[in-house]
Amino acid sequence: MARIVGGIGTSHAPSIAHAYDRGHQNEPVWKPLFDGFVPAKEWLKAIAPDLMIVIYNDHLNRFFFDAYPTFALGVAESFPGADEGWGKRDLPDLAGDRAFAWHVARSLIEDEFDLTVCQELAIDHGILSILPLLWDTPWPAPILPLAVNVIQHPLPTARRCYRLGDALKRAVESYPEDRRIVVVGTGGLSHQLHGERFGFLNPEWDNRFLDLVEREPLALTKYTHHEYMELGGAESVEMIMWLTMRAALGSNVERVYRHYYAPLLTGYGLLVLEPEH
Amino acid sequence: MSEIPGTHVFTGELSQQGYRLNRLSMTLTKSENREAFLADEAGYMERLGLTEDERNMVQRRDWGAIIRSGGNIYLTLKIAATVGGNLLQMGAQMRCESLETFMASRPGPKAPVRRD
Repeated sequence: MARIVGGIGTSHAPSIAHAYDRGHQNEPVWKPLFDGFVPAKEWLKAIAPDLMIVIYNDHLNRFFFDAYPTFALGVAESFPGADEGWGKRDLPDLAGDRAFAWHVARSLIEDEFDLTVCQELAIDHGILSILPLLWDTPWPAPILPLAVNVIQHPLPTARRCYRLGDALKRAVESYPEDRRIVVVGTGGLSHQLHGERFGFLNPEWDNRFLDLVEREPLALTKYTHHEYMELGGAESVEMIMWLTMRAALGSNVERVYRHYYAPLLTGYGLLVLEPEH
Repeated sequence: MSEIPGTHVFTGELSQQGYRLNRLSMTLTKSENREAFLADEAGYMERLGLTEDERNMVQRRDWGAIIRSGGNIYLTLKIAATVGGNLLQMGAQMRCESLETFMASRPGPKAPVRRD
């Protein structure tokens, strides 16, 4: 039987990808961010999952508003990196696991999550900005990308994202073959990237969110999108994707690692959890 | 529900209003389109059916006007990427500040002011 052995909540940001690609890891503004990922990377290396499920959002690189999916699952054999406007980054394609991916698609749809199933899915900074901070290349395991609409309102509710995580746990645990799986939820924490409120940060709320997602995640399902946007900035509504990861771990978790750093535009949060056995 | 000051929530209505601007930006995820755009911005946008107002706000690099007209920030960023700007510059402009002033307002260790 497949099972979930751990979860990671992490911010994603194009700025992380730029800093990584340009070799700014040791600049004073970036060093605490890159150093902060090291314990999570070591944990991931030690736990060595067979596959990683990543809940993320595409930033108009694969999907456009001509037809915008609320939830989309990648069932491809491999996932190339997207060209976001600066040219494609120098990173290898990611592998998929099609048998597992189709199992999850069937299970989630039977569980009434009506996904868009994608046989081609280019991956953007929603996954690739932070992946090289967690994994060395060549990528050591396949991924299963699950994209959520957190951009064009109406968005799925926080509660819906949490329930998706419940369903994801059932999907994993009904797979007959052995797989040890880590679930990653990306996005947030506080940031606003447009308008006169550009640059809004709220470290106090971010840290409260990190407390709640670990200990009291159901409380976070009661917040409206408007409350998330007011507390953390309009684009911080991505934080609801952490709830999918958290629900997939089951009710009780042990915290392995937590890190927070908010130097510029984004409250960068990082949380590593293991399900309690 | 009160409005959040300085914020344009990207609703379906705003997305419809900004569709032409956003479709332009989406084409800039291909390098051959970026080259064609840079070679003849006005012609490129006319072929995509942007209105005169929309073409003007792109040519003025008026990021705030584009956002108010329904440009999505992640898409509008692709225009900046194509013409050699970055998100920090866009943000400073939307706040009506210089990039230096904005960077000085950041809580973290002093970061270099970059314009690429």
